[in-house]
Amino acid sequence: MSMKLRELIRKVRACKTVAEERAVIAKESAMIRTAIREEQVHFRHRNVAKLLFMHMLGYPTHFGQLECMKLCASPHFPEKRIGYLGMMLLLSEEADVLMLATNALKNDLNNENKFIAGLALCAIGNLATADMSRDLAPEVDKHLKSQNPYLRKKACLAMARCLSKCPDMVEDFVDRVVTLLKDKSHGVLITIVQLMTTVLMVDYKFAEEEGEDPFQTDCRKAFLRLVPTLAKMLRNLLTNTGFSPDHDVGGVADPFLQVQLLTLLRLLGCNNLEASEQMNDVLAQVATNTETAKNAGNAILYECVQTIMGTESEDGLRVLAVNILGRFLLNRDNNIRYVALNTLSRCIQEQNQMGRGDDALVSGMVNESANNAMSALQRHRQTVVDCLRDPDISIRQRALELIYHLVNESNVEQLTAELLNYLVLCPREHKADICNRVLKVVDRYSPNDRWRVDTLITTLTIAGREASNVFQSATAVYISRADRDTHAFAAHKLVKAIRDDDGSQTGLLLIGIWCIGEYGDLLLQPCTYVPQATDTDDLALASQSTPVTLEALAPIDVVQTIERVTEHHGCLEHIKNRALTTYAKLSNRFADSGDAVALGMINAVLTKHSTSRSLELQLRSCEYLALINAAKGVKSAPVPKEDDIFGVTSSVSNGDSVSPAVMKAAQDAIARMPVVDQKVLEKRLAAENMEDGGVTTTRPQRAAAPANGGDLLDLNDMFGSSSATPAQNGTSFAPVGEAAKSDMDLLSEVFSAQTSTAAAPSLGYDPFSAPAVAAPSPAFANPMDLFGAPPTTASATSTSLAPTSNTAIDLFGAPPVQTSAPVDLFGSISVASTPAPATPTKPRVMGFSHNGLSAEFEYSKPDPTNNQRSELAACFKNTTGSPVRGLNLQVAVPKYVQMQMDPPSSTTVPVSGGNAKEVTQKIVVTNSMLGTKNLMLKIKVSFTVNGQKMEHMATVSGFPVGEY
Amino acid sequence: MIRFFLLQNRQGKTRLSKWYVEPNSNSASGSASNSPELEKVRIEAEVHRLVTARDKKYTNFIEYNNYKLIYRRYAGLFFTIAVDVADNELCYLETIHLFVELLDSYFSNVCELDIVFHFNKVYSILDEFMLAGEIEETSKREILDRVKLMEKIE
Repeated sequence: MSMKLRELIRKVRACKTVAEERAVIAKESAMIRTAIREEQVHFRHRNVAKLLFMHMLGYPTHFGQLECMKLCASPHFPEKRIGYLGMMLLLSEEADVLMLATNALKNDLNNENKFIAGLALCAIGNLATADMSRDLAPEVDKHLKSQNPYLRKKACLAMARCLSKCPDMVEDFVDRVVTLLKDKSHGVLITIVQLMTTVLMVDYKFAEEEGEDPFQTDCRKAFLRLVPTLAKMLRNLLTNTGFSPDHDVGGVADPFLQVQLLTLLRLLGCNNLEASEQMNDVLAQVATNTETAKNAGNAILYECVQTIMGTESEDGLRVLAVNILGRFLLNRDNNIRYVALNTLSRCIQEQNQMGRGDDALVSGMVNESANNAMSALQRHRQTVVDCLRDPDISIRQRALELIYHLVNESNVEQLTAELLNYLVLCPREHKADICNRVLKVVDRYSPNDRWRVDTLITTLTIAGREASNVFQSATAVYISRADRDTHAFAAHKLVKAIRDDDGSQTGLLLIGIWCIGEYGDLLLQPCTYVPQATDTDDLALASQSTPVTLEALAPIDVVQTIERVTEHHGCLEHIKNRALTTYAKLSNRFADSGDAVALGMINAVLTKHSTSRSLELQLRSCEYLALINAAKGVKSAPVPKEDDIFGVTSSVSNGDSVSPAVMKAAQDAIARMPVVDQKVLEKRLAAENMEDGGVTTTRPQRAAAPANGGDLLDLNDMFGSSSATPAQNGTSFAPVGEAAKSDMDLLSEVFSAQTSTAAAPSLGYDPFSAPAVAAPSPAFANPMDLFGAPPTTASATSTSLAPTSNTAIDLFGAPPVQTSAPVDLFGSISVASTPAPATPTKPRVMGFSHNGLSAEFEYSKPDPTNNQRSELAACFKNTTGSPVRGLNLQVAVPKYVQMQMDPPSSTTVPVSGGNAKEVTQKIVVTNSMLGTKNLMLKIKVSFTVNGQKMEHMATVSGFPVGEY
Repeated sequence: MIRFFLLQNRQGKTRLSKWYVEPNSNSASGSASNSPELEKVRIEAEVHRLVTARDKKYTNFIEYNNYKLIYRRYAGLFFTIAVDVADNELCYLETIHLFVELLDSYFSNVCELDIVFHFNKVYSILDEFMLAGEIEETSKREILDRVKLMEKIE
């Protein structure tokens, strides 16, 4: 009734579908289970064999585990054999049943039959747990001394397993190992060498865990004495004295034993000069005498190279090793090329680390040998480069890694060209990584600025989509740092690249558009340069090379180029943003060209965007239009009345013209608009380089930059993105000292302010024409601190403000339309005499008090789980005697604070006292550097009282230190 | 050392699988909820997928999890060994070849069916060849003698 194993296999093979097979197995499993339950002893052997087959097909067989144990205990050899086989396959180390096996194993180990003892040793070697190892180690040890080589070799490996499970037993077995090395049998020798390797590794790890010096353990010392013996064994294999035809593989004497010996020698020679010297000769012999026609020989050579590199070998030997690898690189077998590339890059990395880590004296020595090996390696450069064209990606990746390490001053141009070639071919997911590598290489080894810029632009042309923001900003920095000729070259090259592009290489477009705006005037002249020879060998050619001239462009062409980019259907908004900035810049750059058509076109494009559905674009284009018009002397925003915010302009601005001061300021502003704050960028770049130290990472805030809607280069850096550098923060809060600084910051703030426009009341809101009264929007919050002047000097009538600031305010829009009434100049006096406010439930801090309007900030922590977040409420108090209208509070915070502002409960503040309702405005701030930096607000309040427009600025910083 | 030895056909049927290191203790990607048996089956399927997808021109090495797979194809059968990253790849290629030669001389011109129907013999050859993840004997004659001797006892 029970099926034979053979039948089951046949049945399963006959199954046409998986379902059918499953049914057969399910039926058979049921049969076996019944047999187990009914204790059908004769079928035990057959059932376990069937279970093994099912197990191999991936079906559950756990119910048969106990049957295996029973078979193991059987006195018959065939049953024992299948029992052990089942035990080794069906049971895993975690199985509880395994505990039961310990005793049976012990009995079998002591069996006279060498095959039974062998089976038990085999089982120990394959699945002994730590507990079993401890119990059975003495029995295994007995077999190490056995007369029979069959048992000796099995015992060696079983012991290796036991020792790796229980590292503390290592020391007891060291002596035994020494005697076994004298064995004649290859089988025992290879196992004992493997046992020694395992012991060394286990010992190393154990000593490290125990806090001892892993190179000074007793066990290692004992083994080190055997180095000459091991070297002799290896030499015997080479010289055929130990020749045995059984172990010969394709004319190589026992390659497995040779490889194992070399591995062991590597472990022993590592960090040990004496042992390394003892093995030097034999290593040289292996390296020179091994046959390379067959894979077996190459395996030995490969191991030998690793040993040479891993020990303190002589220089000559190292060069020999590199040359062997060089020969490997030329091999047609991919496997051999792969191991060569792999080993080479590992060696270089190790050497680099060593050179860095050691002190001067040692590193001098190491570097010398490293240099020898390095120069040997440089000879194989071309071979490595060829590997980049291999169809197998793993070879390409290895080669890339290696090339990256091979670059130096002399070969940078050639190797970078290869990297760029590869960049074109490689899969997209690797492009960003390669871009970063190109950047690092270019950064370190560029022969000149033009080449550097040229390479970076070419990279962007190939992989502008994938290049990280770091790459893009680095390109911008390098371009702007270079001399004027390079500027012209970069601008010309980028115009050409943008024209050729299909609008998908975002990075290229961003940098290109930026560069065109920055150096647009240079585009109007031809650019001539002498191309350099790419190789030093071509010196003759280089001297003959004729200068290449890039033709001058017409302004209209330049503008059209940019427009074509923005017209592209897939054009991203931040590219459009940058394009707008570029138009504004170009209007200045081309001003002297006298090309009215181009300038008209710029104006038209900007005007077109001023009705854009994107708030950001609209805002930007309106601002730029205003700026451009102001520069031309045309006042753009409709001004209903002459009462300008700052009395200065009101006296001069009549009709449609603006003051010359404003004009000049606007012109200045446009001219200097895109200041790339190089120092900030460079500092950041340096910080990044330090930070990632070889591995490429993209800083999160970098990635977030475009999302802020800002021009990464132009704007974000102004404020200093990193809160870690107090110096940068300092600049934005420092009182405005010089006009130049002021307008730069001013513009940056103007644009970055838009990040908070989300809170603006309506989408169609136009900052230029709407009266400020209607806009209690935080959109204007940021510009404030730019005026930066200390509150005391920033009075409404102050004439000491720089003219540029006036322009800015002008830009900000027309003054509110308000009724006239005499100014209550003395309003502020009455502040002092007002009765104390009703007892606040929350703590308050004084905000400001100006001309009768005062405000206090109520502060609290609404969210106990988020300490950084606090809620502020500005409570306004009016002591002027007449209602205050058109209240507009603007708040600026340092970069480490995030702020969200609600509109005020009312823009009209009634006279306080009585039952008049208090006007409040809620502000939620999150201090990301809580504890190290304190919350600080810069506020600007504007209001109208009795028809008189008032402005006041103040700093609020009285919040409890460390808590807000 | 060797972590596991796999013998699969082109369709992904496992013909031999021998594990020297339990999968869960060492594989980083293995989900903890899986039992070792299920994990083994999962890895075997994944290895099959990786190995069969590779072009002939490619190397015979695949970096997988935190170890390396070294495979060799003989007709419709894939022999795969998983070893530590620092191990000598070329030497293991030779190991696979020696094992195939062993099978070939034992079954005299081995084919897949021999392995299917005599899998227990294949296992015992493997046990004489490798032990505890290391190579135990490299002489073909020695191994075959032992296996035949054992069969005689049965």
